[in-house]
Amino acid sequence: MLRFLVRRLLQLIPTLGGLSILLFVWLQRLPGGPEYALLPDDATAEQRAQLRRSLGLDQPITVQYLAFLRRILQGDLGTSLNTGRPVTEEFFTRFPATFELAVTAMLIAVTVGVPLGYLAARKRGSVLDFAAVGGSLLGICTPVFFLAFLLKVVFAERLGLFPSAFRLSPGMSRTDLSGFVVLDGLRTGEFDVVRDALLHLALPGLALASIPLAVIVRMTRASVLEVVGEDYVRTANAKGLHPGTVRTRHVMRNAMLPVVTAIGLLTGSLFAGAVLTESVFAFPGVGSFVYAATQGRDYPVLTGFILLIATMYVLINLLVDISYSLLDPRVRAQ
Amino acid sequence: MPTTPSSADRPGAAREGTDAPGAPETPGAPDRNTPLLGRRAARIDRLAELMGEREQGGHGAGIWRTALARLRRSPMAITGAAIVAVFLVVALFSPLLAPYSPTAQTWGAEVFPNRNVFVGPRAENWLGLDNLGRDQFSRMVIGARQTLLVGVVATLVGFGLGAVLGGAAGAAAVLGGRWGRQVDNAVMRVIDMMLALPTLLLAVTIAALIGPSLTTVMIAVGVAQIPIFARLLRGAMLSQGGRDYVLAARALGVRRHRIALTHILPNSLGPVIVQSTLTLATAIIDAAALSYLGLGNPDPAFPEWGTMLADAQRFLSSAPQLAVYPALAIIVTALGFTLLGEAMREALDPKLRR
Repeated sequence: MLRFLVRRLLQLIPTLGGLSILLFVWLQRLPGGPEYALLPDDATAEQRAQLRRSLGLDQPITVQYLAFLRRILQGDLGTSLNTGRPVTEEFFTRFPATFELAVTAMLIAVTVGVPLGYLAARKRGSVLDFAAVGGSLLGICTPVFFLAFLLKVVFAERLGLFPSAFRLSPGMSRTDLSGFVVLDGLRTGEFDVVRDALLHLALPGLALASIPLAVIVRMTRASVLEVVGEDYVRTANAKGLHPGTVRTRHVMRNAMLPVVTAIGLLTGSLFAGAVLTESVFAFPGVGSFVYAATQGRDYPVLTGFILLIATMYVLINLLVDISYSLLDPRVRAQ
Repeated sequence: MPTTPSSADRPGAAREGTDAPGAPETPGAPDRNTPLLGRRAARIDRLAELMGEREQGGHGAGIWRTALARLRRSPMAITGAAIVAVFLVVALFSPLLAPYSPTAQTWGAEVFPNRNVFVGPRAENWLGLDNLGRDQFSRMVIGARQTLLVGVVATLVGFGLGAVLGGAAGAAAVLGGRWGRQVDNAVMRVIDMMLALPTLLLAVTIAALIGPSLTTVMIAVGVAQIPIFARLLRGAMLSQGGRDYVLAARALGVRRHRIALTHILPNSLGPVIVQSTLTLATAIIDAAALSYLGLGNPDPAFPEWGTMLADAQRFLSSAPQLAVYPALAIIVTALGFTLLGEAMREALDPKLRR
């Protein structure tokens, strides 16, 4: 197990290294380059050259790349052009909100998607199956931001069942321990805050869950269909095992492997989707901040966001690999 | 990556790559070569490899014919094809179908968005007026053409560049010997890195680079599809590379670039064509998202569904119909392409049929 972990960790290095090169090249190619952003338009060529020297832009490209890498490793992602504060700091204060939103969406997607996919597979060709498959195709084809607007207009503005914006109702006071509203509320026993926060999470969470939910339903269904046809399931049924045991120990355990991987892969797109969803609900997380960055061409924020997603993606997939080896001992032996 | 090129990337490795832990063909078993990308990569590889398998039966044309026959019976395929056909007709003949100019603010005096005065459907304007007093039906019809253009160009960009990269990698791996496998390895590392980023984020990055316009959207959405096409074509070429006909051609002394272009490539294009259908749907949806992010077409001369939908969000509470028409159009069109693409994939994949 330890060897497995070490090997997986070592494999992260080329992926992240390569990504940093891609990002570096991307930054190099930005229109104008940094000296145009920092100097007034009427600056002389001499002033530009001097600035390039002081920024190290006259150095060989490899030296520049190493300097870039060193800054990233020190956690320095530059300063947001919109707010004038360090990007890392902006992300840290907003991250808990987005994390709570992403977890809500994933919980909705998994708790609804896996049972639905299983039922659709077991009752293949039924109305339920048709509805599940059709619904998930529809979910994939609906633009996330439109769904978010629709939910907001119908459930928040017309029916008034849910709040339409922010993380908490205005005037709601809470003890801030970590920035995670729900967790803090549970720890301090402020259950009115927890309730309010969950109400605020419901609609954006649902909108954000639409695509992962659709993918999980379809994948669980396909995976269960495949496993159910395997010989070992027939054997288990033939030797008279309890149907529940066959379902949990034989079918689900094997059928979950690709679904678990998919959950890991979906997390990256969850954060990209948060950009769309959060901006609709004025949810004060990383997503709405990045939305503002795309409006104002705030490059340091965009670069930082890509690095953040890539790192999370890589770490989550490491977790997926570990959970894989727990679910399937053969992976460890490989 | 630690895997040595010689063990992982010889012809036929696409199949080996996907069989990792579970039953031999568990979809989504992690690709040993790239553990982090297991699921998505394996899915692409599986499609690539399946199309190869189907032709192994000996009746090359027969497989395609049976798949076509299966498609004709599939309600999914028929629904998808019907939607796509209607969309294509509307898009191609839109100037003839649109009753009015999509940009003339003919009825501008009747609409006041700031006072919540909108005009709904009526005899002369079938879908009512938009926020500037333009005929919504004409805008929708002309918009179909722009949307088709975005989808097709984006898909072509992804298809073209992805095919060049994936084709080169595949050909190098199959025919290039040891040096070729290293080329393949290097290309695929870059592709896998692109695959690791969510497509929408990749598109936003590119769009931020070149500034907002319709061209931006097409390029951004297209580039984001490159890794999928590249991996797909490479996988298909690898699975073709081990076939007897390739061996025969080599034994006969046919030049290597000729084998790659006239023997392997035509036999590997099937999965890529299926993927194109699915990509058209993704492209239309992603284009709408980019428009919403303000990276789309700022030019009102050419209405496009994504831009219309994004613009209409401002009036969603007072005039929901302005958003609902383009949204429905996008959803139905994307659904049409998805149904058709999925049905094609299903028709060619015996495991999904059962």
